[in-house]
Amino acid sequence: MSFKRLIAPIASLVGGALLVIIAFLGIYAWPAVKFNGLGFVTKDNWNLGSLYGNPIMRHGQLILPGAAYGILFLIVGTLLSTLIAVLLAVPLGVGSAIFLADGVPPALRTWLSFFVEMLAAVPSVVFGLWGYAAVIPLLNHTMFPWMAKHLAFIPFFAGATGSGYGLLTSGFVLTLMIVPLITATMRDALVNQPRGLREAALALGATRFETMWSVILPSTRRVLIASGILATGRALGETMAVLMVGGGALNYLPQNIYAPITTMAAFIVSQLDSAMEDPTGMAVRSLAEVALVLCVISVIVNGAARLLLYFSGYERMGGGGWA
Amino acid sequence: MIFGRNSVEKKHNRSYRKGVVLVLALAVAGAATAFAASQINLLETGSSLLYPLFNLWVPAFTKAHPNIRIVTNSTGSGTGISQSVAGIAQIGASDAYLSDAMTRMHPTMLSIPLAISSQMVNYNIPGLNNKHLKLNGPVLAGIYMGKITMWNDPQIAKINPGVKLPDHKIIPIHRTDGSGDTFIFSQYLSFSTPAWNNSVSFGTSISWPPVQGGLGAVGNPGMVTALTGSKYSIAYIGVSFERAIMKDGMGIAMLGNRAGNFVMLTPHTVSSAAAQMVPKTPKDERVSLIYAPGADSYPIINYEYAIVSKQQPSAQTAAALRTLFTWAISGNGGNAPHYMEAVHFAPLPPSVVRLSEAQINQIQ
Repeated sequence: MSFKRLIAPIASLVGGALLVIIAFLGIYAWPAVKFNGLGFVTKDNWNLGSLYGNPIMRHGQLILPGAAYGILFLIVGTLLSTLIAVLLAVPLGVGSAIFLADGVPPALRTWLSFFVEMLAAVPSVVFGLWGYAAVIPLLNHTMFPWMAKHLAFIPFFAGATGSGYGLLTSGFVLTLMIVPLITATMRDALVNQPRGLREAALALGATRFETMWSVILPSTRRVLIASGILATGRALGETMAVLMVGGGALNYLPQNIYAPITTMAAFIVSQLDSAMEDPTGMAVRSLAEVALVLCVISVIVNGAARLLLYFSGYERMGGGGWA
Repeated sequence: MIFGRNSVEKKHNRSYRKGVVLVLALAVAGAATAFAASQINLLETGSSLLYPLFNLWVPAFTKAHPNIRIVTNSTGSGTGISQSVAGIAQIGASDAYLSDAMTRMHPTMLSIPLAISSQMVNYNIPGLNNKHLKLNGPVLAGIYMGKITMWNDPQIAKINPGVKLPDHKIIPIHRTDGSGDTFIFSQYLSFSTPAWNNSVSFGTSISWPPVQGGLGAVGNPGMVTALTGSKYSIAYIGVSFERAIMKDGMGIAMLGNRAGNFVMLTPHTVSSAAAQMVPKTPKDERVSLIYAPGADSYPIINYEYAIVSKQQPSAQTAAALRTLFTWAISGNGGNAPHYMEAVHFAPLPPSVVRLSEAQINQIQ
């Protein structure tokens, strides 16, 4: 048997697993999809119903009295915390990548890069615990009150700063988790750019900054987008860290950037055991529907980023610039 | 390999050595597990309110019964119920009994009381934490429904004459995990406040009305952390965490009871409430002790349950469970005063011990 034949089933097994998981989720969640309808993604109303009441029939489904499921607040929490993280992480990641590629003496570079890469290897629960124990008190007592006072002119930065658990804290912790992903890939890309590019720019009289900003960096645009996809994917699905610092908001949208939130992934973990107490099983099926929505959102975000990647490549061949 | 000098040979060598170390570590762990398998392993999971007591019980019990190994885990009553029903844990610790619907679906599951517990309502108001604010069901329901949002609300002021209440927003904290504390707290609100009963009702997980700035926390330890970390917050916390509350200097509220009196949580008010409610305990012992009548009765007391299946996979496991529970509810064993006092629980009255024993003997 040829190597190709041998390897083909193994490779398709990996792809097949994804399809099987999504198919399973879809089938399992189907009664919930039917019961919840479109309101599932447009309403802020997650209610298991009366756990100690007697199940009733509604729309041909056995449910607990009062049960209703709407997860708009989870979708908003997930997207906003990811957005904050990516907005903060991209400049930070690119900046540190430039520094590591160009601004540090080579002897130090390997060590510093090593530390950045180790940061990517830290389990998320460690970030969560650190956020819980160290970051939240600091933010709560010092930084948030200061921000609410001095940055109040920015929309959503004014108002009650709450308790330190919330959207911005989640964003900060997520940022720290995804920065090393961006830094590591960008540093490799920057270092591996053809030497000729740099030499040509320098020969033309460009400064070091100009060389980096106008020549080297634009040529790594595709890598930036790709590492952005990776980082976004990780932030969307991050569970433990957000669970620990998000504040566990239920059924309401954040009013400002300090307000408590929950994300879909964190919600599935925190609510699974409660949902299993629903004797009708509708709660667990609705959680499966949450997972399904999370999958769909991840696919959409990934697809959009890939489209961006495609166009950026096209543009580059046509001679498009950085900006 | 991380530091750049990567001769291919060295890389292989090193990862090979790493592999050997990993395999050895796994082998050691595996051998340890296999060795332990010659004992009877019991997994207890659930209520964070019962957890401190179980941790006092287990060393004493396993010292006398070295062939029984008990792992305890504080995960919340919701997890205790669902994992014991699923057969993952042998003992589901819960502050809540199984619902009628769950009992019908899982007829082999028993709810066995092990002790009587109670719950504090705690607050973090600088300057008032040593004052024992008075709160009752309707006011607490108003706070958790977002209708009472300020500490100096007239409804709070009315029942606290002479107390200078701060003009500050209230941060209500609730449990996000399935929790027996949520169960008994929401029962207190349901039994005392029709508006709460009609809209939210009670359960281990309830649909908390949205309150801007309100917080969710996991487990009683999470509630303590959130409370001490957030000024002007309010929380409901199991009595076994009273020491943590006192140490952090948080406030303990006096609660309004069915007779309309405000009572502190003391052994006397708990036993007064128990005296009223315990005679109503049915054979399967699934009963609420919340909002007892009587002038001195503390309104939030409850049985701490072990949720157990009466059909165990092996006779040895069943015997171990019977031995453990029989010891736990005995006045010379787990219900002895020094255990109860350590966590501020009350022992089971003799009539309930008899009912629990009858249930324990069904475990086969």
